[in-house]
Amino acid sequence: MSEARTLVFEIFRYNPQDPDTAPHIQRFEMREEPHLTLYLALNYIRENLDPSLQFDFACRSAVCGSCAMIVNGRPVLACRTRTADLANTIRLQPLPVFELIGDLSVDTGRWFRGMAEKVEAWIHSNEPFDPSAPEERMEDELARTIYESERCIECGCCVAGCGVALTRDDFVGPAGLNRIARFMLDPRDQREDAEWFEVVSSDEGVFGCIGLMACQDVCPKELPLLEVHAYLRRKMLLSKAPDLLKNISARRKESAPKTPS
Amino acid sequence: MNVADTSASTRGSSRELWFEIVSGGSGLALALFMWGHMFLVGTILFGERGFDWLAGGLEKLYIAQPTIVIIFILFLVHAVFASRKIPLQLRERKAMMKLAGNLRAVAFASPNTAAPSVGTRPHLESWLWIWQVRTGMVMLILGTAHLVLITVDIFTPMFGEVAGIEASSSMARVREWLMLPYAVLLLCVEFHAGVGLYRLAVKWGFGAKLSRAALWRIEKLIFWTFLGLGIVILLVLAAWLPPPFAFMLE
Repeated sequence: MSEARTLVFEIFRYNPQDPDTAPHIQRFEMREEPHLTLYLALNYIRENLDPSLQFDFACRSAVCGSCAMIVNGRPVLACRTRTADLANTIRLQPLPVFELIGDLSVDTGRWFRGMAEKVEAWIHSNEPFDPSAPEERMEDELARTIYESERCIECGCCVAGCGVALTRDDFVGPAGLNRIARFMLDPRDQREDAEWFEVVSSDEGVFGCIGLMACQDVCPKELPLLEVHAYLRRKMLLSKAPDLLKNISARRKESAPKTPS
Repeated sequence: MNVADTSASTRGSSRELWFEIVSGGSGLALALFMWGHMFLVGTILFGERGFDWLAGGLEKLYIAQPTIVIIFILFLVHAVFASRKIPLQLRERKAMMKLAGNLRAVAFASPNTAAPSVGTRPHLESWLWIWQVRTGMVMLILGTAHLVLITVDIFTPMFGEVAGIEASSSMARVREWLMLPYAVLLLCVEFHAGVGLYRLAVKWGFGAKLSRAALWRIEKLIFWTFLGLGIVILLVLAAWLPPPFAFMLE
């Protein structure tokens, strides 16, 4: 085993609540221990070097999604990132797009809530609810596909890695499109394609996506986001194809009398 | 969104679907045309006779004339619709470039472990998009110049006793001063079209049966094949290489 390294952490510091502070990078040094993760390192820094450092953790096992941050320019979950995989100097920044609470802590909750309200991420049904009735059955395959989308932990890595989400406030983002697909797939949700169309088939929805593909590459849960987006694109095209063809033929008919026969 | 309310206006969203179809469709058509274009210009490999035979034939049969008009229109339409997605503000462009650069760079230069453990595949595609925009801008200038030149070549013979596209004048141009712009144009076209087709396939899930890695390998194969072919053709046009298959028409 080689000698323990001295790690240099360059951490973004800024407290929006404190008008006297300006955004800056603060350096911390610590000795690397075996199996050290960023979760452990940040706790060490807070306990021993600077108690004012703000960052979020809850589960420390890649389930809660609180600890996403930009590590050397890439959005990752800090709890499952080992310092052994990193060079001696480690640069930590908060996720962009989301509102900054302070230092490395951002409010992903508000963004995800806004997105969920926008896409109305709940089962829409006019069926009366009968609590005593047995649950409706669902094909295994379909249930698995839906579950695959449900594995999203809302960490915000895909949003922070998306060039479109970075530059467009109204884009529902890769996680938003994933959520939409989840409810479109669900047979209990009675929303028709035409209703979905308005929110999905726009620059705020799937056609805002320019296919940068970073979302899937940075997703810590390895969700098949690109497949989900392709599904939405095809669904939107197919749901509208008859209308589009009808419009073209209608226009042709309109212009027909004007051409001399 | 109410279940009962099915009469929601879908005009705006219909429009954006249309834009997507037009921008992707025109790109696809242009990329496919450029493959055909490579084989048309490739007749120079059979010598001047081969080139003139095909060019003259396409003009006499009035195939060249509508084709160039359609391609010119597609070219401009693609430029307008594809550029919709380029961020307007410099600040936004800088943010996007910084993100793409960061994701491309090796964030996990591990001194201790061979493979990064944290699901961090190297990510190139955002950076490639930035270069698609850049090559698109170069093509907008050089491609327009080339299209104007060829349009003039194709249409002037209809109004007088002048030759249309022919090997001798094309070769003279390349030899004298078009070598460099054509080389740049070739590189831009092959890069832009190759990456564009790959992105289109992933975006619409054409390659659902193939993995993304497989699609990327196909993209690279297409890129290098057509770039290599293009370079050989350009060198023959510049008379730096003799036409390799000219003996077949002698």
